[in-house]
Amino acid sequence: MIDVVFVVISIVTILSSIMVIQAKKLVHSAVYLAGALIGTAGLFILLKAEFIAWVQVLVYVGAVVTLILFTIMLTRKGEEE
Amino acid sequence: MTANAYELIVYILTLLGVYEPILNVFQVLGIEYIFKILIVLVEVGILFVFVLLTVMFLTWMERKVVAMVQARYGPMVTGPRGLLQPVMDGVKLIGKEDIIPAKADRWIFTLAPFIVFIPALLVFIPLPFGQSLIISDLRVGLLYIIAISAVSPIAILLAGWASNNKYSLMGAMRAVAQDISYTIPLALTAIAIVLFTGSLSTVDIVNAQSGTWFGIIPKWFIFLQPLGFILFLIASIAEMGRIPFDFQESESELVAGFFTEYSGMKFAMFFLAEYAHLFAVSGIVVTLFLGGWTFPILPFVPAMLVPLVSLGIFLVKTYAVIFFAMWLRDTVPRVRIDQLLNIGWKIMVPLALLNLLLAGFLVTAGVF
Repeated sequence: MIDVVFVVISIVTILSSIMVIQAKKLVHSAVYLAGALIGTAGLFILLKAEFIAWVQVLVYVGAVVTLILFTIMLTRKGEEE
Repeated sequence: MTANAYELIVYILTLLGVYEPILNVFQVLGIEYIFKILIVLVEVGILFVFVLLTVMFLTWMERKVVAMVQARYGPMVTGPRGLLQPVMDGVKLIGKEDIIPAKADRWIFTLAPFIVFIPALLVFIPLPFGQSLIISDLRVGLLYIIAISAVSPIAILLAGWASNNKYSLMGAMRAVAQDISYTIPLALTAIAIVLFTGSLSTVDIVNAQSGTWFGIIPKWFIFLQPLGFILFLIASIAEMGRIPFDFQESESELVAGFFTEYSGMKFAMFFLAEYAHLFAVSGIVVTLFLGGWTFPILPFVPAMLVPLVSLGIFLVKTYAVIFFAMWLRDTVPRVRIDQLLNIGWKIMVPLALLNLLLAGFLVTAGVF
């Protein structure tokens, strides 16, 4: 049971990590990055490390918000197409 | 005494005499864990329905409170005293055309309402609604609540960006700036509570507040931490983005802020998430400062009725906080954006640090 959950979370994490560098738009990259980081938090929960898991969500997801903010501020709409 | 809702359901099934037979059937088939998953699904389903009904009731209550303050009647036509108005609103919103702007980023535009909605429901998992009425007593419950709340700014930003509309983007940027600056006093005042209890579990926090001082004053943290309570309440209202801090959707400047372009069911999801958030945050205020489901009369209640009575106590307290938020919305004008950030960084954060220091002194002096 645990193994199945582990495999599913790992696949999601790896796929979204690949999509971070594959995505054309910076904001899409940041969304995939958030997905990858939440997947990592899931792996921590499987290891019964709840505290690290939620700190992971708190710190890194907060960082991703700031990242998206900067991508929006530093890129101009219409240039990326 | 049962620890959480799972055990409570098992206890009730055992009382009815059906737990053993059903478990035996699943054991014979060798799929015992499916039975456990079924019970979990039932409790999560009950929570989901309860939250949705509360949200519908809150939209009605908000209109009635506004009407009361402005000396009007509010909704009166559908149902007794307009109680069925939320149902009609829901039907109307489902029937509306779902418009996606031509230049919008379709994928993120569709995703954003879901990312707003899911954290708003996940927050309820470690919230103690009453004795043993909790989905899961996480050891790091308070951290979990703060972490999950940190996810919603992402969704707001994505919604504002994907709409490809300057008002949406401005609303989203304001919302995130506000969220980031008010999370700090929120977390700092919560840490002061953790200093007293020595535990991040919400159940431990509630249990620490049972009992009384001198036989009269309940041991709620509001009496130990009045400053912390005020700061936490202001920061929560700012986090929810309600008047007087509703910069993300200030309608006189930004049309409707980050959800300007949304219509139909997606708009309804933002709306539902907003009220679910209001309910959750009020519940958290009650859990941290107003003693959760405890009340000095509880020891005199027969043990069988304690879960029900404590649920009632919790709901009364929560609705009092919700009423305060609604009352504030109708009486206070919106602050300016520079005032908002000044209040956040120059007043709230230093006061929260001072409050943490006071809590440290109280703990060292052995008051609690």
